[in-house]
Amino acid sequence: MKTKIAQLRKIRKISQEELALAVGVTRQTITSLEVGKYTASLPLAFKIAYFFGLSIEEVFDFSEYVVEMEENNEKI
Amino acid sequence: MKKYKLFIKKRIAWLSVLLLITFGVGVYDQFFASPAIVANPIFSFQAGFSASLCIFAALCIINYNKILHDGEKLRIQYNKANDERLRLVRYKAGVPILLVTSTIMIVVGIIAGYFNETIFLTLILTALIQISVSVIMKFIYLRKL
Repeated sequence: MKTKIAQLRKIRKISQEELALAVGVTRQTITSLEVGKYTASLPLAFKIAYFFGLSIEEVFDFSEYVVEMEENNEKI
Repeated sequence: MKKYKLFIKKRIAWLSVLLLITFGVGVYDQFFASPAIVANPIFSFQAGFSASLCIFAALCIINYNKILHDGEKLRIQYNKANDERLRLVRYKAGVPILLVTSTIMIVVGIIAGYFNETIFLTLILTALIQISVSVIMKFIYLRKL
């Protein structure tokens, strides 16, 4: 899943380590989230969005799931 | 964080028990083991294994004590232990059950080895293969996730 975590960190000048400490994960998990290798659970997604003061949809890109849902709805 | 501090203290307690047991075994091996036991080829493996466990336990106790007295290190360790991605990787690699079963196999292999060398070799080899598979799976999933 694509995220805007890297851009948000750069805008606010926050390191991966600082973000990781704040949300209760390791720096490597933040790296994996930023490159889209790992999909955060709902609690983690909420913590990250809360940290940036944004909604989950503003931090995480759900467009691929929207496309999937629309394709499924068309089939039905 | 208080609960995690308690968890670390319990771990230190268990490691201290392990340290005492392996130290006791080491003292027995050095001063009280009968010549028949010492002559057995398994004896040197057993002595080395218990010595390495003793050193490992001591190093872990020192490390955990450092973590307990440093707030920053405690927080990092807590995050590492509760990180959801690492939990998933550990789950996929079969940690810690594979490590536990491998250790049991090695201990049982040593005891059985005093009576039958083939059983010793089979169990040690199986334990090593299990540990290797777990390590390989851990590396694969660390890169994948």
